[in-house]
Amino acid sequence: MFHNSSQKKYWIFPSEDEVEHKRSKANQKVRSKIQENVKPGVSDSMLLERHEEDVLFRHYEKRLLDFCNVFKPVMPKSVVGTAIMYFKRFYMNNSIMEYHPRIIMLTCAYLSCKVDEFNVSSTQFVGNLVQESPAGQERVLEQILEFELLLIQQLHFHLVVHNPYRPMEGLLIDIKTRYPTLENPESLRKNADDFLTQAAMTDAGLLFPPSQIALTAILNSASRASLSMESYLNECLGLKGDKESLSKMYDSMRRMKTLLKKYEFPKAELVNVCKQKLERIHAEFGISSNKRKRGYEEDGHVAKEARLAEEEEWTDEDLI
Amino acid sequence: MEQYILLGRVGEGAHGIVFKAKHVETGETVALKKVALRRLEDGIPNQALREIKALQEIEDNQHVVKLKDVFPHGTGFVLVFDFMLSDLSEVIRNSLRPLTPAQVKGYMMMLLKGVVFLHHNNIMHRDLKPANLLISSSGHLKIADFGLARLFSEEGDRLYSHQVATRWYRAPELLYGARKYDEGVDLWAVGCIFGELLNLSPLFPGENDIEQLCCVLRVLGTPTQDSWPEIVELPDYNKITFKENPAIPLEEIVPDTSPQAIDLLYKFLVYPSKQRCSARQALLHPYFFSSPLPAHHSELPIPQRGGRPPRQRLQAPPTDFSVDLPLQNSVVDPALLQGHATCL
Repeated sequence: MFHNSSQKKYWIFPSEDEVEHKRSKANQKVRSKIQENVKPGVSDSMLLERHEEDVLFRHYEKRLLDFCNVFKPVMPKSVVGTAIMYFKRFYMNNSIMEYHPRIIMLTCAYLSCKVDEFNVSSTQFVGNLVQESPAGQERVLEQILEFELLLIQQLHFHLVVHNPYRPMEGLLIDIKTRYPTLENPESLRKNADDFLTQAAMTDAGLLFPPSQIALTAILNSASRASLSMESYLNECLGLKGDKESLSKMYDSMRRMKTLLKKYEFPKAELVNVCKQKLERIHAEFGISSNKRKRGYEEDGHVAKEARLAEEEEWTDEDLI
Repeated sequence: MEQYILLGRVGEGAHGIVFKAKHVETGETVALKKVALRRLEDGIPNQALREIKALQEIEDNQHVVKLKDVFPHGTGFVLVFDFMLSDLSEVIRNSLRPLTPAQVKGYMMMLLKGVVFLHHNNIMHRDLKPANLLISSSGHLKIADFGLARLFSEEGDRLYSHQVATRWYRAPELLYGARKYDEGVDLWAVGCIFGELLNLSPLFPGENDIEQLCCVLRVLGTPTQDSWPEIVELPDYNKITFKENPAIPLEEIVPDTSPQAIDLLYKFLVYPSKQRCSARQALLHPYFFSSPLPAHHSELPIPQRGGRPPRQRLQAPPTDFSVDLPLQNSVVDPALLQGHATCL
């Protein structure tokens, strides 16, 4: 249930400003890390500004959505929604300069499949990277598995994501049974679905409970068809006379619609400029890859001893 | 990890070793379950994900173990639980005499309260069995091991695995390969555990999946389309047929049991899953309101973890044993004892 979920407790934020503040902080932290430790005196212009990170974030978020939408076997909506939420949550506290979104986005999708019990094997999963050779797929899989633990940590082990799809089904059922005034509730579905798809690309999921997003989707679809649903809110949802809740809800809906309106998919030229910067940052400073590359070698031979030592920490002998 | 001092090894869980440890700051004793990611084919095991998922999203309940924390450690991560002294399988194994009716009632009540809570939160446990019912030092029973648990509020078209639940507690629809099922699988298991508490031995101890079905059919009688209409839709229904036999009254299976207990047991051990008594209803059954009343948790046995069970209970009875044979055929030849008897 949403009301006692980790999503409500930890991943719904009071305002757009607070979300932005966290992202800026993550950006700032990595900038100073590079400038102080990795390469002192590197010019600001080499690094990604916060708004440039945003361009790349939107770009890779869209790529994640596209990847999920053509995934075979067909990925249920909730799996896609969860993957995108993981991606957003991860980059709330981490910078794109530190962890390359190309691999994080795939790791998000992979984890989401497992958590949502959409059972595909790891080989089947990377088999969806059609442009990669089998060897390439194998390499990507290795990376995904390497980053999975990091991802789950950065999500603070909060795995369950409540998406607005189920509440929307619930609302439609409710309307059909208790609001006969509306003639053909199914006609609202198409536009409401589109609304949810667009909303998934905005920060709505970090600001509003899924049921509110779903309700906004339905009301929005109704108003586009010039249908008034005010009496549904008043009578069926019991908001009549509750001025405060009503005005709060209308306010959330307005904010949500603004978010959708403001959303702009970044222009290709801009993405390319930012991408070049990003690749250079990862190639030259490689702050995450430093750590990660060692991780790979551990799998081979280099750090095997370190690993053994770690296992020993957990054996009986140690307890004596 | 520095926050904890390891005190000892408790056992091997489904996905790693479990240690007893002390939280340095609070002095609390906890159980640490380490999930190692050694076999890297699929990454973090589903079982660990399910456990975190199920336990993280629910409020505290007295009869469900509490996931206190999760933290990364080395090549994996560690789940932190309340430390529990023992589990119900040890209670059953270590009992030298039958549990009193009040004690059985006490355990059943706590088990059902836990199940009510899980089902209310849309969680199917899918692996209820005595070994997964932990007993705290205060005698409380708590449901644990959510490695197979899953939310059942998913869209209707998703299929579940039928390879769930430990065989002896596996519901008949699972034995027939059902891929769509419901929380009734937990209620079946509750019935099996109930019978086991009454008899101190498993109700349906099948040695393989086919024999498991035999065990169930022998007691409940071969299912018919009348007694179980859905059976014809189950994947493995046509793959196997059994000789028809009538049901054996449960009074004979769990002898010396009160009629109310038998009545409740009948309500769980029903072929059609939908007809099984829900945990919430079960708690309102007269069984729990008649004398003797359920034992208070302080009146329940708390065996030590790893306590040695008496040897002979582990051995199966001799195969040639039968109540109809003269007793002297099955006792030890007195001549063999003579040499030892003199030194007494």
